[in-house]
Amino acid sequence: MNGARSPKRVEPIFPRSKIDMLKDFLEGKPLQHPIHPMLVHFPIGLFLLSFLLDLASLASSSVPNLVRGSFYAMLLGLITSLVAAVPGLVDYTDIRSDHPGKRTATAHMILNFMVVVVYGINLGIRSSSLLDPKISMGPFILSLVGVGLLSASGYLGGRLVYDEGIAVGRHKRHMPTPRDTIHLTAPIPGADSVFVPITAAQQLRERETLRVEIDSQVMTIAKIDNQLFAFQEFCTHRYGPLSEGKFEGFNVQCPWHNSCFDVRSGKVTNGPAKVDLKTFKVETRDGKVGVLLTKHP
Amino acid sequence: MKWLLNFLKGKWLGHPLHPILVHVPMAMWPGALIFDLLSKWQIGGNAMVRLSFYAIVFGLATSLLALPTGLVDWTGIKKEKPAWKIGLYHLALNIVVTALFAINLGLRLPDFRDAVMVATPPLTLSILGTAILIVSAYLGGRMTYHYGISVARMSKDEWREIAKAGGANLPPE
Repeated sequence: MNGARSPKRVEPIFPRSKIDMLKDFLEGKPLQHPIHPMLVHFPIGLFLLSFLLDLASLASSSVPNLVRGSFYAMLLGLITSLVAAVPGLVDYTDIRSDHPGKRTATAHMILNFMVVVVYGINLGIRSSSLLDPKISMGPFILSLVGVGLLSASGYLGGRLVYDEGIAVGRHKRHMPTPRDTIHLTAPIPGADSVFVPITAAQQLRERETLRVEIDSQVMTIAKIDNQLFAFQEFCTHRYGPLSEGKFEGFNVQCPWHNSCFDVRSGKVTNGPAKVDLKTFKVETRDGKVGVLLTKHP
Repeated sequence: MKWLLNFLKGKWLGHPLHPILVHVPMAMWPGALIFDLLSKWQIGGNAMVRLSFYAIVFGLATSLLALPTGLVDWTGIKKEKPAWKIGLYHLALNIVVTALFAINLGLRLPDFRDAVMVATPPLTLSILGTAILIVSAYLGGRMTYHYGISVARMSKDEWREIAKAGGANLPPE
């Protein structure tokens, strides 16, 4: 593997349209770090600060300017939350539709929308009484609700990264990732060896992938050096999605922890993975390209 | 001791603790810089000076909580991995940033109750501290998004089930 790793970045093989480049930018590919998780620090921290200042104003009315300070913190929090929403939406659209994290992401987005609305109303209500020594009950309760929703939403956002691996290692890949899984069934179930044509594989571009499920066997189909390869979808380390991996020579690199495998043999070429991938034979029969599934590989 | 390590790793929450806690200093200190600049432009008066002060205090208090959780996550990385070295730089820079904001706070302490504008020395420290913080936070983000530290650590059993159902070769349990 190390011989195949070149020090300079591989140029994208296909020219990107302006929209694609904007999308890459909002996904943080030039920074090699997703942008949404960078920006969300601000609303989370600032909304919490405004809540603490509200509490402080209730605890001691002798300290001046707490209500005003809380308002400023909340205002900056709302502005930054709107900025963070833009790359967040782009990240959302890039999650494969049947990914287990998709529903979490939808809930995260709905909660965030509610947070923005609650804080918008909160700011409107408290803007007329900035000189009060104590925050009044209405906006205080809205702060309490806002912090509750924000905590739930922030937690889900964290689960998306740390449990579902969303956006982890995404910047390493230049080609788009599969939008869906293609579900196919073997024509003769139970036969020793069956050929399953995969029509979509014919249109694959260089280093593009398909995620295919044939009778519950999930695999990645990748085109490398103008040849098609099929191998198991899940990395043998922590089961990261190889259909979203990066290709270098005949190696696929898992987006999560950078394990590398030779797509021709399935052999591990770089850890942390230790177990080889299952590979499948790609053949052309009657002008149709597909995989050969054998019962005893 | 093991319960403490598991607590600091966030196992009870199903989410690593360090990346949660760091949201606070990461928002408070650049936020303080913004409040300092607004105060320099004569927006907000003493309310802005105080707000900046409180933001720095909140950031400092939380960064002290974030330190042990970060150390625990870092010691879980093998020394020969590239992420270990990044973690070391991340730690060193964070100590520098925390010290800078502690000094910054000390400079503000005598007059934040009455001042209507942040003085230049603490503003300078806010700029410096924020600049170093951004570098350090970027390194922290690299550990997650490039090297996958803590990714699929708590969910690996669920993923194993999904991979098993998908007919994959699996590592021995």
